[in-house]
Amino acid sequence: MYDNPLMKRDAVTKEVKISARGCQVFYGDTHAIKDVDVDIEDKTVTAFIGPSGCGKSTFLRCLNRMNDTIDICRVEGTITLDGEDIYDPKVDPVQLRAKVGMVFQKPNPFPKSIYDNVAYGPKIHGMARTRAELDEIVERALRRGALWDEVKDRLDAPGTGLSGGQQQRLCIARAVATEPEVLLMDEPCSALDPIATAQVEELIDELREQYSVVIVTHSMQQAARVSQKTAFFHLGNLVEFGETGQIFTNPHDPRTESYITGRIG
Amino acid sequence: MSDRHIVKSYDRDLEAIQALIMKMGGLVEAAILEAAQSLENRDEELAEKVRKGDKSIDALEERVNEEAARLLALRQPSAGDLRTVLTVMKIGANLERIGDYAKNMAKRTGVLVQMTPIEGSAGAIRRMAMAVEAMLKDALDAYIQRDPELAQDVRLRDHEVDQMYNALFREFLTFMMEDPRNITACMHLHFIAKNIERMGDHVTSISEQVIYLVTGEMPEDDRPKADRTAVDVPGF
Repeated sequence: MYDNPLMKRDAVTKEVKISARGCQVFYGDTHAIKDVDVDIEDKTVTAFIGPSGCGKSTFLRCLNRMNDTIDICRVEGTITLDGEDIYDPKVDPVQLRAKVGMVFQKPNPFPKSIYDNVAYGPKIHGMARTRAELDEIVERALRRGALWDEVKDRLDAPGTGLSGGQQQRLCIARAVATEPEVLLMDEPCSALDPIATAQVEELIDELREQYSVVIVTHSMQQAARVSQKTAFFHLGNLVEFGETGQIFTNPHDPRTESYITGRIG
Repeated sequence: MSDRHIVKSYDRDLEAIQALIMKMGGLVEAAILEAAQSLENRDEELAEKVRKGDKSIDALEERVNEEAARLLALRQPSAGDLRTVLTVMKIGANLERIGDYAKNMAKRTGVLVQMTPIEGSAGAIRRMAMAVEAMLKDALDAYIQRDPELAQDVRLRDHEVDQMYNALFREFLTFMMEDPRNITACMHLHFIAKNIERMGDHVTSISEQVIYLVTGEMPEDDRPKADRTAVDVPGF
């Protein structure tokens, strides 16, 4: 007879998608990220956890150069995507962000129709030559965002008219429409109710088949539920990085243990 | 980990459930000693007390399980806290089982007091029971002090209990072969010895839980097994 194993959650070692070495970030004089080395694997959900101000969002934003938009921000060290340095002057940040998509804490749909929200990225990247092709891309993205069935009859309605959970899934659909390889999510569920949160989490698990997903979350339970790898940041340091199951049952660093068990660290 | 939780009631819940385990442990230790004592002194009254006392041990185990389920549902413990809740449930089950064995000893004592005593047996059984009780005490101390070395020490001491059981097994076999009229009493005594030997196994399992609680890993090495009665057939 066959055994019925538990659902496989182990992070089988996969190819490294993003690799950071000696990454330092400064906001003016503030040293926000201190010498972080991390390998983010392909087709894996990696969660960044840590107390407010520990640098997890800052580090996440380094991965698609969102920190470029902040004047006083300075990034040192190397971050590579598939072995190529993303901070190389030859790299176009707009092209990079098409490959490394991002979803933010608050749903932020454009003040346009649902259709145009999703079609915007593919249009500017010239991914469709005809309207029919664009329709196809929009439908595929909305399906991947687990939103298609709810909005297919009102694609011309404004995106801002959707519920919070739907708006967030619209933003995810918008992010995946450009066929990114990595999806960065900064607290994607903090403004959502438990049902919408569960839908987004289910979606994250599905996205894992095609993308490398990096999620910043304040909910330890969420990190435990959705990720295969977890990184714990504290005061700008990457304290511990390991398989999610191990981090939540047997963390090696006492600071990790204090944080995830809700003790004063 | 001596740090307190930010939510103080979480600490209180965890402490409460561990206090239940210690209370259970105290009752079980007493039950082991009293069961052996009632056998040695042919004290039917004390045996009756042990038999009745098992109910409160069972009730405590149920409370441990209820509290553990509540804690899991309401607090979603992780890391060391999670291991605390998991081990509390397992140790509770081990203690409950040891309590059952003590009760069974007391039941057999009720029968044995009606028969001619087998020379030397009650004393040997009491020594075995005392060894197991001392192991249990140390295992519970190791639990409270989060001391994996003491737990490992207890784990290795189970060997001695196994050897005592082997010796008694041979002795009872000899008595039975000498005089078939000893068979009934020796059978009961043998079951009692076997009960104590099983208690030792449960104490070993408690020690292993302590090691898991502190280190996050179960001990991997095989501990020495000295109960060879199922393999070697002495006397034939």
